[in-house]
Amino acid sequence: MVGAFEQALLALMIFVIMLGMGASLTPRDFYLALKRPYGLMIGVVSQYGFMPFIGFLLITTLPLPSAIAIGVLIMACMPGGTTSNIFTYFSKGNLALSVLMTVTSTVFGVLLIPIVLVIYANALDLEIPRENIIATLVLLLVPVAIGMVMRKLNANVGAVTEFMGSLLALFFIVFLIVSWVPRNWQFLITTTPATYVAAIGLGLFGITIGYVFARSLRLHPRNARTVALETGIQNGPLAIAIIAFTFSGDEAQSYMAVPVLYSLFIVIMSTLVTLVFRRANTAAEQKMPDGLL
Amino acid sequence: MTQRPWTAFYAPGERTDIASPAYRTLPDLVRSVSETHGAAPAFTCCLPNGMNGTLSFQQVDEMSDSLAVYLREVAGLGQGDRVALQMPNCLSFPVAAFGVLKAGCVLVNVNPLYTAEEMARQFEDATPHALIIVDMFADKIPAATRDHPIPNVIVTRVAEFFPAMPRGIVGLVQKYWDRSVIPVETAHTRLPDAIAAGRARIAKDRVEVDAYHQPVTSDDIAVLQYTGGTTGVSKGAMLTHGNLIMNMEQTMELLNSNVTKGEEVALTALPMYHIFAFTVNLLGFYWLGARNVLIPNPRPLSNLKRAFENYKITWMSGVNTLFNGLTNEIWFTDSPPRHLKFASAGGMALQSSVAERWEQITGKPVIQGYGLTETSPVLTFEPLGKARPGSIGVPLPSTLVTCLDEDGNEVPQGERGEIAAKGPQVMKGYWQKPEETEKVMKNGWFLTGDIGVMDPDGYFRIVDRKKDMVVVSGFNVYPNEVEDVLAAHPGILEAAVIGVPDDVAGEAVKAFVVKADPGLTAEAIRAYCKEHLTAYKVPKRVEFRDELPKSNVGKILRKDLRAEELAQVAAE
Repeated sequence: MVGAFEQALLALMIFVIMLGMGASLTPRDFYLALKRPYGLMIGVVSQYGFMPFIGFLLITTLPLPSAIAIGVLIMACMPGGTTSNIFTYFSKGNLALSVLMTVTSTVFGVLLIPIVLVIYANALDLEIPRENIIATLVLLLVPVAIGMVMRKLNANVGAVTEFMGSLLALFFIVFLIVSWVPRNWQFLITTTPATYVAAIGLGLFGITIGYVFARSLRLHPRNARTVALETGIQNGPLAIAIIAFTFSGDEAQSYMAVPVLYSLFIVIMSTLVTLVFRRANTAAEQKMPDGLL
Repeated sequence: MTQRPWTAFYAPGERTDIASPAYRTLPDLVRSVSETHGAAPAFTCCLPNGMNGTLSFQQVDEMSDSLAVYLREVAGLGQGDRVALQMPNCLSFPVAAFGVLKAGCVLVNVNPLYTAEEMARQFEDATPHALIIVDMFADKIPAATRDHPIPNVIVTRVAEFFPAMPRGIVGLVQKYWDRSVIPVETAHTRLPDAIAAGRARIAKDRVEVDAYHQPVTSDDIAVLQYTGGTTGVSKGAMLTHGNLIMNMEQTMELLNSNVTKGEEVALTALPMYHIFAFTVNLLGFYWLGARNVLIPNPRPLSNLKRAFENYKITWMSGVNTLFNGLTNEIWFTDSPPRHLKFASAGGMALQSSVAERWEQITGKPVIQGYGLTETSPVLTFEPLGKARPGSIGVPLPSTLVTCLDEDGNEVPQGERGEIAAKGPQVMKGYWQKPEETEKVMKNGWFLTGDIGVMDPDGYFRIVDRKKDMVVVSGFNVYPNEVEDVLAAHPGILEAAVIGVPDDVAGEAVKAFVVKADPGLTAEAIRAYCKEHLTAYKVPKRVEFRDELPKSNVGKILRKDLRAEELAQVAAE
């Protein structure tokens, strides 16, 4: 698992990245996202309506041992993670909407996660560690706010911070993948195909359904991309923390299989989806005459 | 015609005549304005990611002084020598342009996107003694100067005069990510080095910069502005210091009541090598003491987002393509600039549907101007709040405009004729092309080649360019009119109309359409046109395109479409 030093390092990286993300935003971006809360509501429905249902379908159709199935359900009920903001940024999505969605789903999560679990798992009694929820929010909102202030004070400082933050974000994505594999090698080779399908399918179906749902409700492609990533990308570390908090020993270890696997594949998948979204964004750009340089 | 009914539309206090330019030469203007506004920001160059650099009026003045000294003392140029300037909007542009003029030299604006052959043709005609070019395009120098070597090459870059950190990042990104900058092979001096060398000379030899342009008069050439790209032979319009200062003043006269000196923030997304942005944005905004936000590359339009977010833009100028594009950008319509007072359009006809949409979104009008490179460029401008659909407005102060028939006689008011103009902004002639000059000057009138009509109260309307007219069975069809109708269709992004050979009618109207609505059919378009146009004006043929050929300022090139069409007919 992840050591304390690594955890601190990851937190620091996320802080700097979110500082950069914040520097790309203005208060007006948030104002606009809040002015039309439609997108935000679609996000919450997608997050707590579709994701748990996808998780439920996966565990009922796949031959999974019950410990793995519980892991899938817990993962499916998680709020959006900070990673979704990073991928939204690179996908040229609506970052302000993404941040708001992460905040909303995290805050509502305290209430909604138990309810959803009652529905699908007959009251699986989970301890939700408030400090993790608060840490998630702080690690998201504080640097974003500081980044916005930096940009307001000096556009160059903001732009340089954003540039550095996005470079670090690229490094972060690579780091997540590269550091994950050796750490969990043993785990990778002993996992059953059905577990793979569940861990990969959760994110893949989440992104797809989030996008289709948002588009069918006529959200602008930019916002639909945001909803898609926000829906598919769950807060993996939170799931792991919840499991570690609630269970212990072998039980905890087997519940964690899916969140750990999911965390790897969602990064790989989101990278690919981001490339597709970026291409779609470029294709949708208005063609301006060559010489208007 | 000596009567000027249009002066009734001038706002109270606006002069109908400007007796003489407020400054003798452009260097005098730069010096005077710089002294007034001193440390205030004059130019801010804003890149798509928000990185930026700013120069104050004082800095621009001092740096251009130093460059002038470099050009005269180090590079050895003399009064009247041509200096080519080839760069997108960036902080180096005003420094270089003002420096060249202060040196008593003639500025030659060159489109940075020109191919090496196009550059070579312009260099052959203008024979510049120095070239100030941005590094992104310096790879074309060897091929462009093979037959006409330019002794002095000064190289600059887009992020010139930015703070070190953003400048370094932009440099690295351009070099390793975009690969838009490759090492410059030609022997050259870097602009900051040239300025430093000039500055050292001033300190050492106590050079008087003003002595370089003292002998220059308002009737001397300031700028060679090349034109004719859309009509054929490229010609250098000789624009004098007097032409440019007067045209800037004439234009500002009609806007004066809406702007406050020293308080405006202007957006320059159009390239300043183009005469419209050169006079209005570079000279006009400077004179106004405005902070001029320069955009090196407005493509894609999202490149403008940071500039709109970070600066309280009060005035912008653009072309139809730009306004049309912005009204189709979600970030712009979501959050239109709140401090905007108005926008001005030039360079090409502003479609009324675009103007209306713009006003709906921003709540502020677009004011259209009309003119040509040869007229520095503005001849007419729509008075604020008195815009009239389809009109180019009224002539500027001290400007006479009329419509002439084929023999050069004025046509009765209300009838079509070629628009002709007299005024202090009319060029001296074409550089070393007296025979071309003669073709466009008749009895003291400058012939625009545009067909227009004057309303009884003095407003002018353009009905078309002479040669674009389509004759359908003896009826005249003016493509602009059909295009305006097409552009107003919600499913059409843009459209161009030309005449094509037709067995029955001699010529037929053909429309090239870029769809906004993918489901749009040719039948639907024709049915729609029938509602708005007399039958003979309705396009007989409709062709859908992904994009339309455009000139480097975004003017749709009907001639290219016509050439394609004729080639196709010949092939069949």
